[in-house]
Amino acid sequence: MKRLFSALVIGLVIAIGATRASAQTTRPVDKADQATQDILKELESTPVSSGSTTAPSSPPAISSTRFEDEIVHIHWGRLVDQFKFMLMTAGALGCASAVLGLFVLLRREALVALAIPQVVAVGVAIGMRFEINTLPPALGVALVTLIYFALSRRWGAANWIIPSFYVAGMCLSFLIIANHGQEVEDLQRRFAGVDVAVAPSQALIAIPILLAVGAICALLWRRWLLFAQAPAAAELAGLRPARWDTLFLVLLTIATLLGTDSLGVVMVLSMLFLPAATVLPWVRRIPAAMAAGAILSLVYLAIGFYFSNLENWPLSQSVGGAGFIMLAISQLAAQLKS
Amino acid sequence: MGPSQTLINLDKADFGYGGRSVVCVEKLALARGSCLGIFGPNGSGKTTLVRGITGLLTPMAGHVVHEPHRGAVEQGTVAYQQPASMRIGYLPQHRNIELHWPMTALDAASLAISARRFFGWIGPRTKDVLNMMRRLKIDAFAHRPFASLSGGQQQRVLLAGALAGDPTVLVLDEPTEGLDVRSTQELLDLLRDFIAEGLATMIISHEADDLMQVAGEIAWLHPAAQYGDPSTVEIVTPEALGQRILQAARRVG
Repeated sequence: MKRLFSALVIGLVIAIGATRASAQTTRPVDKADQATQDILKELESTPVSSGSTTAPSSPPAISSTRFEDEIVHIHWGRLVDQFKFMLMTAGALGCASAVLGLFVLLRREALVALAIPQVVAVGVAIGMRFEINTLPPALGVALVTLIYFALSRRWGAANWIIPSFYVAGMCLSFLIIANHGQEVEDLQRRFAGVDVAVAPSQALIAIPILLAVGAICALLWRRWLLFAQAPAAAELAGLRPARWDTLFLVLLTIATLLGTDSLGVVMVLSMLFLPAATVLPWVRRIPAAMAAGAILSLVYLAIGFYFSNLENWPLSQSVGGAGFIMLAISQLAAQLKS
Repeated sequence: MGPSQTLINLDKADFGYGGRSVVCVEKLALARGSCLGIFGPNGSGKTTLVRGITGLLTPMAGHVVHEPHRGAVEQGTVAYQQPASMRIGYLPQHRNIELHWPMTALDAASLAISARRFFGWIGPRTKDVLNMMRRLKIDAFAHRPFASLSGGQQQRVLLAGALAGDPTVLVLDEPTEGLDVRSTQELLDLLRDFIAEGLATMIISHEADDLMQVAGEIAWLHPAAQYGDPSTVEIVTPEALGQRILQAARRVG
């Protein structure tokens, strides 16, 4: 097992190294590719004060590498400003999802968490197909799904109904917008999480709701613990486990819905599983796991954002990749420690 | 035994699900400071009976009375003065505890108290849990991961938690399953002390030996000969249970 983890980490490190090396060797002009070209153009058109150290008015004789470094340096501030709504939404999603994801993993509900974004995509596709706001149909589909999930648990059929929803979500969302070129492309982008952009209006709705969902889930940690360990004790105290299960599913669905609608499926799943899975081998108590997971989700976002811009990689995949490498290292270290 | 000491009374109660009767009881009473053993084979309806006694399951016929209660009792009801007025503690099987959850022994012991608190916050009641852990001599483990404790220690932690809620009635689900002889004996000794102090207990167990050590009466569930018919409950003394098991063992060989 330890060898497997070691091989996994070494493989990942080599793969990333190889990707970076190939990017540098096979794409010598890529460093100054589209994004950099845009910045160069912008720099040329921007008046620069004479005292500026980053962009002197008459370029001195500096090497092209140093010049590129300076461009990259300027690039970050502007990029962060340009993508601030997306970053803030992703940060809020990360904090909420890290908390929810912890309980998703502990309650062994990963399949539900995987199925919900696919199902939400059906609602998004309906919105795209009829050229309306994608959030209301996504909400409607999510609610219907939730009710069906709750019923399937009552019937004892959840184990085969939930995976079916996963497949159905993937298929139906594309069938609804089949033969609509632009919409298909948009939906693929949502699924793949490439080129995510969040409008200020979207961020204003999503951020407070996501933070509230995360906070509610965190405050109720003793309830989730109780229902997992001693549901009979909870019932004897007058609590209804089915209602609390439904509340958890509602919180999970809200976070997934807002995350999928604004940032795509990959970002949602990365934030839901990876921070929690990374911290679990190291914590003794749930509050510590929630706090560490939330902080780690922000670290993943920062690393992902850095590499996505440095290497021209898609953001969600960069976040997921960074998260997975950290997870593998964490698991390996935990195995070695034990 | 005076009427004021009786906590739960069942009269011709019939419990089941979806219109099908699973277990029927002619008469059963649980008094303060008594221990009722629930004994029977798998599938005989032990859990159903306990759900019925504790009021989680409404009887299909007959009635259940949780004292104190005034006024007439309707058939097919659980009668009580206030809903959930009786504090019923529950000790889960330590084998059913999901050890992959990150929690300390104190977190595990706080489960029962958190069930009755708003949002599950235990706040000042942590002191009660720690006091009970001290009494059961497990306070040294309070901040250790629950999963790192032995089976016997885990069961004591859970017992401390169930008792810290100051229950009127304590339900123990297979409390000695998976424990070694020494841990079993320690647990039964502890239970005897609390019963002597006035705690009413119900122990679900497959282990006749354990029940014979602590129970004053045993509700023995006999599955019906014909599939679909309800199990019947016979109230026996521990001695009678021991003799009948011995006779059965002799018959077998």
